[in-house]
Amino acid sequence: MNELMTDARERLVARARREGLETVGYAVIDSPLGPLWIAVGPKGVVGIHYGAEPSPQELGRIVRAYGPGVLPDSRRADPVARELDQYFAGKRRRFDVPVDLSPLTDFQRRVLSATAAIEFGDISTYAKVAARAGSAKGSRAAGQALGSNPIPIVVPCHRILASDGSLGGYAGGLDAKRRLLSMERGEAPAGGWVRRRQM
Amino acid sequence: MIQTFAELLDRHEREIFAYALRLVGDRDEADDIYQDTFLAAFRGWPPPRRGQERAWLYRIATNKVIDRSRRAKRLVRLGDLRLAAPERDGVSMADLASAIKVLPEGQRAAFVLRKVQGLDYAEVASALECSEDAARQRVAEATKKVREAMR
Repeated sequence: MNELMTDARERLVARARREGLETVGYAVIDSPLGPLWIAVGPKGVVGIHYGAEPSPQELGRIVRAYGPGVLPDSRRADPVARELDQYFAGKRRRFDVPVDLSPLTDFQRRVLSATAAIEFGDISTYAKVAARAGSAKGSRAAGQALGSNPIPIVVPCHRILASDGSLGGYAGGLDAKRRLLSMERGEAPAGGWVRRRQM
Repeated sequence: MIQTFAELLDRHEREIFAYALRLVGDRDEADDIYQDTFLAAFRGWPPPRRGQERAWLYRIATNKVIDRSRRAKRLVRLGDLRLAAPERDGVSMADLASAIKVLPEGQRAAFVLRKVQGLDYAEVASALECSEDAARQRVAEATKKVREAMR
């Protein structure tokens, strides 16, 4: 029955995709930081969530923007999954998959675009990102916009610290932020995390 | 509350597939009914009443079974029925096999919904688009026929 069900579901999802009933396809991948739920919409990546399942709020945000057609679809998630694997293996410093920030507010979009411009290995501060986003609202507002970054890692909000050099916050937890930053500083050997974790 | 098609599948696809298998006794046909049911649900989303997705899906699936048997009058194949082992006490595989053989679709659906899938009469009524009294009656008649066929 189980195998029967898996096959049947795969065919169902393929038909739904062909009919345009699937608006967002998702997959769960393993990473050195634990499972990641990744979702891809018609215009690019719409969400990356730390954990195997998004919160009802996160799902609600996606449904409001893209409708209820959210289905498991590794085919659609493959390109970003591949880039994430390469990134965690130390073989990628920049993401090429498109991201879709269109459902966000203008301010969030500007903050996240400024964030996306921070290169691998660099860091910035909430205040600088706020300034670059052309905001008079300052670092607190930028911090809030980054706190609701729907696409962490690919939009590298982990590269932003408080002005006093402290870590600030992070959706995946401060330990995840610390590990991403140390990997990007070259403190972990390429692919080292993955291998070390498996031992 | 169910927000996405994925959640609808996670919550209900197994029982709908099992239901289809119990009504038709053949895995390929059950697969078709499962696919048609969920595609129709995706197209018709949201359900008429939120929170009643389950009865809605059973209604769609029941109609798919009836449509198919109307289109193709044929001998019932029971080859895959063992895959659909009933989960309820008091209904054996033999009951199910004879239900498929002797009952017309409407009564068969009523019998399986109540006795095997374990829906309450309000849900059976909603799935069969009839009153609760009519649902009770159909289940009673179906049960009687199955018992008679078993003798």
